[in-house]
Amino acid sequence: MDLDSMDCTSTIDVSDDEEIHQDCHSYASVSKHHSNNNTNPNAASGLLPTTTSVHELLECPVCTNSMYPPIHQCQSGHTLCSTCKNRVHNRCPTCRQELGDIRCLALEKVAESLELPCKYMSLGCPEIFPYYSKLNHETVCDFRPYSCPYAGSDCSVMGDIPFLVAHLRDDHKVFYCYGEYFCLHFEAFQLGMAPVYMAFLRFMGDETEARNYNYSLEVGGYGRKLIWEGTPRSVRDSHRKVRDSHDGLIIQRNMALFFSGGDRKELKLRVTGRIWKEQQHSGEAGGGGACIPNLS
Amino acid sequence: MNSSEMEPRINHLQIESQVHELLDYPVCTNQITSTIYQCSNDYTGEVNNDKEKPYNCPYSGSKCTATGDIRWLLQHLRNDHHVEMHDGRSFSHRYVHHNPKHLHHATWMLTLLDCYGRQFCLYFEAFHLKKTPMYIAYMQFMGDEKEATSFSYTLEISGHGRKMTWQGVPRSIRDSHKTVRDSQDGLIITRKLAMFFSADNTNSKELKLKISGRIWREH
Repeated sequence: MDLDSMDCTSTIDVSDDEEIHQDCHSYASVSKHHSNNNTNPNAASGLLPTTTSVHELLECPVCTNSMYPPIHQCQSGHTLCSTCKNRVHNRCPTCRQELGDIRCLALEKVAESLELPCKYMSLGCPEIFPYYSKLNHETVCDFRPYSCPYAGSDCSVMGDIPFLVAHLRDDHKVFYCYGEYFCLHFEAFQLGMAPVYMAFLRFMGDETEARNYNYSLEVGGYGRKLIWEGTPRSVRDSHRKVRDSHDGLIIQRNMALFFSGGDRKELKLRVTGRIWKEQQHSGEAGGGGACIPNLS
Repeated sequence: MNSSEMEPRINHLQIESQVHELLDYPVCTNQITSTIYQCSNDYTGEVNNDKEKPYNCPYSGSKCTATGDIRWLLQHLRNDHHVEMHDGRSFSHRYVHHNPKHLHHATWMLTLLDCYGRQFCLYFEAFHLKKTPMYIAYMQFMGDEKEATSFSYTLEISGHGRKMTWQGVPRSIRDSHKTVRDSQDGLIITRKLAMFFSADNTNSKELKLKISGRIWREH
């Protein structure tokens, strides 16, 4: 929404098709691949066939992560990473034999001489690293994609800037209004043991700025309407903190289904919102925003 | 004002009310001669055989089994249950409890509202929705379902830069208040949010919830 009028109004439709997860939106991470003219994958990546197969040997058969010392094996030689070993209750997941404490030193030593390209090679990183230092490099690699800046650890989507902008607009429902960005959250969670839906607005900025604005969210149908008005929360507050403070429009699942109409099996909720600039007024008990009790 | 007729465990819950608007239509006070009905609780009442079947007393469905027509029920509510009645289409009530964490499940308060020549029941209840403490406020119409749908009402709670508004259609008192509560057909608020609205400059953990609203006729 790029309205620059007195207030910003928007309507979003939410249905069961939308990926509404408990706790957070999580999407598979996406990486953009540059076009690759060479059909031979090994040659294109600059790897010799043997490097690839050794690298595959270093992949844990259970969790498929790369294995690092101590690497374990069973009496028949099946390998296992240390994380998975703690979880398999002393039985080899490949052959079900009893696991001892056998370390696969040979594989650990072979890994030492392995050199691999950075995993962001397809994004432009030209570097090659020994197996044991590749991981460290990848955490700081300049070519690594950006995390969704919105909600920090709550959203695990990654991509380049144009991809993220589209993702923010489509999935996080970011609005541009009064020269500022606001994001609408909608999620399903459990209040105790009751399923509820909650919608609230966050402000891409800090709390003092956020207090300059007000927003309202409305759902309804069949002669009934629920309206929430409030101050957008700064993105400095994690979405979980806002959710747990109940600072937004909360509807029980039954009521949401009622508003969705039909046979109440499918969620089809229309949420209408408005953002406007808060007029400064004085003298209201509680401060009209100047003094906000702890919403923890 | 304390109401001694309330369930013993909610003796400390109080209502403070203010009336904002004057009555629009006079209340019908015509005498209707009819047969006398006596219920098991020893309350006597009158039932008009020409009209619809009697209504159950809206004061906590299961405990009071009195039934009668609307006119009789109003007297019964006032005289036997000491329920307050307020005139006017707008209202504002403050629900106060000094220790909201000790408000038991299904504690409730009933106030009567009189406007448009009809009467409405305003309920405020503390309850648990699957172990989460909540409050709900809703309106019921003292009359049949058909006439109930000709009205709409709003309930509003506000404070500290937040406002929650519910607009709904009053359910007929043919539905027990428990039915309405369980269908969540009203303004529902978590206790956490209710405490936020109750907060003031003191550090008290009292519930002080001001609920305003109005009733209007749609058609």
